[in-house]
Amino acid sequence: MEKLSEWWKKLTWTFAPSSKVEATKAVTKNFILHWFPARVTYRSMSWSYSWWLGTVSFSLFLILTITGIILMFLYIPSVERAYWTIKDLQHAVSFGWFLRNMHRWAAHLMVFFVTLHMVRVFFTGAFKNGGNPDANRPVNWAVGMFLLVFTLLLSYTGYLLPWDQLALWAITIGANIAKSVPVMGSYLHFLLAGGTRIDQNTLIRFYALHVIVLPALLLVLVSYHMWRVRKDGGLAVSEQYKMQAKKEGKRLVPDDYTTFAIPALIRRAFLVFLISLGAVMLLSIISNAPLEEPADPSWTPNPAKAPWYFLWLQELLAITTIRTPWFTINGGFVGGVVIPGILFLWGLIVPFIDKSPNEATGVWFHPSRRLQNWTFGIIMLILAFLTIFAMYFRGPSWNIYWPWAWPPIPHLF
Amino acid sequence: MTRRKFLAYLGRFAVLFAMVGQALAMLRSIVPNVVYEPPKKFKIGYPDDFSEGITFLSKHRLFVIREGNTFWTISAVCTHLGCTVNLVTFPKPKKVKVGKKEFTEQWEFHCPCHGSKFYGEGTPFAGPAPRPLPYYPLDIAPDGQLIVDTSREVKSDFRFVLNV
Repeated sequence: MEKLSEWWKKLTWTFAPSSKVEATKAVTKNFILHWFPARVTYRSMSWSYSWWLGTVSFSLFLILTITGIILMFLYIPSVERAYWTIKDLQHAVSFGWFLRNMHRWAAHLMVFFVTLHMVRVFFTGAFKNGGNPDANRPVNWAVGMFLLVFTLLLSYTGYLLPWDQLALWAITIGANIAKSVPVMGSYLHFLLAGGTRIDQNTLIRFYALHVIVLPALLLVLVSYHMWRVRKDGGLAVSEQYKMQAKKEGKRLVPDDYTTFAIPALIRRAFLVFLISLGAVMLLSIISNAPLEEPADPSWTPNPAKAPWYFLWLQELLAITTIRTPWFTINGGFVGGVVIPGILFLWGLIVPFIDKSPNEATGVWFHPSRRLQNWTFGIIMLILAFLTIFAMYFRGPSWNIYWPWAWPPIPHLF
Repeated sequence: MTRRKFLAYLGRFAVLFAMVGQALAMLRSIVPNVVYEPPKKFKIGYPDDFSEGITFLSKHRLFVIREGNTFWTISAVCTHLGCTVNLVTFPKPKKVKVGKKEFTEQWEFHCPCHGSKFYGEGTPFAGPAPRPLPYYPLDIAPDGQLIVDTSREVKSDFRFVLNV
């Protein structure tokens, strides 16, 4: 054990610090400290303030990367064989079922936790600089919006790969949303599908996007995201220390409100990672990832429902076709491009139009941000309502039914 | 602008131009020039293969309708976002009014994805579908089989009459 710690020391330190000053200066000489900050504010580590949702999201991303790399050895992106390699994972490969379940559960949880992370940051006003001239938190929020979109795109491209009925109809709908864009729609569809029909070209495109393009983009952005948090002086709640000190006319001494990242921060981060991993493993043992019938263009499952995180979008697609006597606009464009586009743009600029006072930085539900919080809360509630409605109240042929009153579904005709 | 400065800008522009050009060239390669897809114009069988009424050709996602010696085709691809519509047949013919025209229909098309519904002749009456289901031209090939061309649409009054 002692030998091991000595060995670790040799790998990560070039000298042993003898004082706090020396230790702080050591940042540049230590691998972990080069990544984490040297000192971290106490409130940045508060469980009840941040719930560590960002760390959970990144932990899930790590789990996805590792399981994903192993899955790449076992999966073949061909329309003839893709489905059967997934079947093999479930029945022939040792622990294949576990690997696939972990990848799927981590993916679903990542969508969920990235969204929760966004909600937390909004309600705590954490995209505000709080009068800190060196901070640039609004930009980091905007980066976060892109991270959310990449997370959703990764999930979308991921559930297409098994090439089952869910996959085929999800690609068909996605590609046709692109097609519904005025003027350039057909070209976008051609580019996305790699031809005029959903086939091998489409599968290999989505595969390349899923295994390298999107993860690489996400990794670059998330690295910037974390670096930004560190350079902005920790989580936004840290600004409260400075405001407090200013109000009381005191001088802030680092020891009063910060501690060393090693061990305080890395221990907690590791704990959060272990809990995330444990949760994913537990879910993977008790619940299997579903696999529908092999892809068949001649019939669409009835009803054909998207995964839960896209159901609000599916509901929007179904109800937003605009009809006038002169022209008709496809709901695919209104509900699939315009409305999500407006939501995304609003998300990008919202920290720049939020004019609440500095005191509202890093505080849950600050009274001065009542309007902002209500606006955001209502948008999220509408999306949640659409999701629940589409999940439980839409039956065969997308008609409205009570969840317990579905009629028998005719299979083909 | 001095000559030295001009040349410096020119140099920077040249580097940028070269890099952007190469990036575009690489991206251009993923736009297919050739696609190996089944032809858009294909034979669907002999006229006598089709019974009176409507037949669904699952391979081509196409409905073929026969009334005596008259044939026509309606696409089974929903005009909203491309799902395959379900054929719903009625035990008793139903009277419907489309615009000002009234007619009796024996079936309708219902889309399972977002709930679009089309009358028997293709006009949408419920759900998000923005356009009627397209009709494709039908003809007879030299070998006596019916041939469909899905690369172009025809009006909904298109009928192919077989000369016997």
